[in-house]
Amino acid sequence: MAKLNLALYWAAACGGCDVAVLDVNEKILDIAAVANIVLWPVALDHKYADVAKMAPGSIDLCLFNGAIRNSENEQIARMLREKSQVLVAFGSCAISGGIPALANLKDRDDILRRVYLETPSTVNPDGVLPQTGCPTPVGDLHLPEFYDFVYSLDQVVEVDYYVPGCPPTPQRIWEVVQAVVSGNLPPRGATVGALDKSLCDECQRVKRDKKIKRFYRSHEIITDPELCLLEQGLLCMGPVTRGGCGTQCINANMPCRGCYGPLPGVTDQGAKYLSSIGAIMDARTPEEVDEIMQGIVDPAGTFYRFGMSTSLLKGAVKQ
Amino acid sequence: MSRRITIDPITRLEGHGKIEIFLNDAGAVDDVYFQIPELRGFEKFCEGRPVEELPRIVSRICGV
Ligand code: SF4
Ligand code: SF4
Repeated sequence: MAKLNLALYWAAACGGCDVAVLDVNEKILDIAAVANIVLWPVALDHKYADVAKMAPGSIDLCLFNGAIRNSENEQIARMLREKSQVLVAFGSCAISGGIPALANLKDRDDILRRVYLETPSTVNPDGVLPQTGCPTPVGDLHLPEFYDFVYSLDQVVEVDYYVPGCPPTPQRIWEVVQAVVSGNLPPRGATVGALDKSLCDECQRVKRDKKIKRFYRSHEIITDPELCLLEQGLLCMGPVTRGGCGTQCINANMPCRGCYGPLPGVTDQGAKYLSSIGAIMDARTPEEVDEIMQGIVDPAGTFYRFGMSTSLLKGAVKQ
Repeated sequence: MSRRITIDPITRLEGHGKIEIFLNDAGAVDDVYFQIPELRGFEKFCEGRPVEELPRIVSRICGV
């Protein structure tokens, strides 16, 4: 069998998805046995120009992580779409904006001002901000355009499959690679490497009657390690999040922040969560509801921690 | 003839970088520019997030 051509790319990302691929450990050798890697900036030295020369469709599988934050991210996404038979949105940032899309709560110019002018560690007496073009005596330099919004991969190109997680777990990654190698793929558009059931389904904590009198911030309470965190008043997004991660945060005694994304059929994970906590609040009057809600300090940044780009909210400040 | 050598992307590190090397007519290096095309803006979007959540947010500055 001819070897597969495999590309791994990061757009606006942290590299954690790439490291998660390496975390399949010695199985990486099995991947190398069946695949030629044609692009993987974290680990190998291929250049964009090498990929640009490849024929359309000549990459069998591209695992694309990272959000679309600037024009370079979008250009590379378009190029990899053209060159790839199967393009996978890999990880929360590519699927729904992830952590970088928290920037959709802020104004673009405020971001640039803070980063390049105001931070205490910045020395920039001339107040220079990034420019898309800059002439120098020896030649022109170019930087990508920093967009107003952070986009998901499928907001700029067509995506074939989704592998959720921040990052996806190595076990799930291995299953996805095996599915591709064996040609055993679900219908296009499917989410792979996750469960169709909620995280609560996978969670071993004891669940009783959920009736919440107040919400706690994680430093305000010492939780019972056996009991459901949400019942104890921590904002755990398990009920509205796909299972598949192995309840990693819960095992560390921290509530889920929803990185495996919404359940099948749900568009807006945060809105869904708001309605589920509405149903479990132990309040009789609007005043009591208000009081309980006061315990939620950052609803947008918590309920849309990984999904701002694809939420109905999109971003709070603009448009 | 002066010439430009572009290394894009630079690899085996976390993040995005590009190097432009300008050679003069004699083929010696005239000037070199190192550019970072990527910005996410943690400096700004961490503002307003609860302090106890920051370890789970800023850990995504670099996951390598
Ligand atoms: S809400 Fe959280 S802690 Fe409770 S059962 Fe669901 S995942 Fe587990
Ligand atoms: S518990 Fe939630 S936030 Fe944590 S890894 Fe699993 S899905 Fe992601």
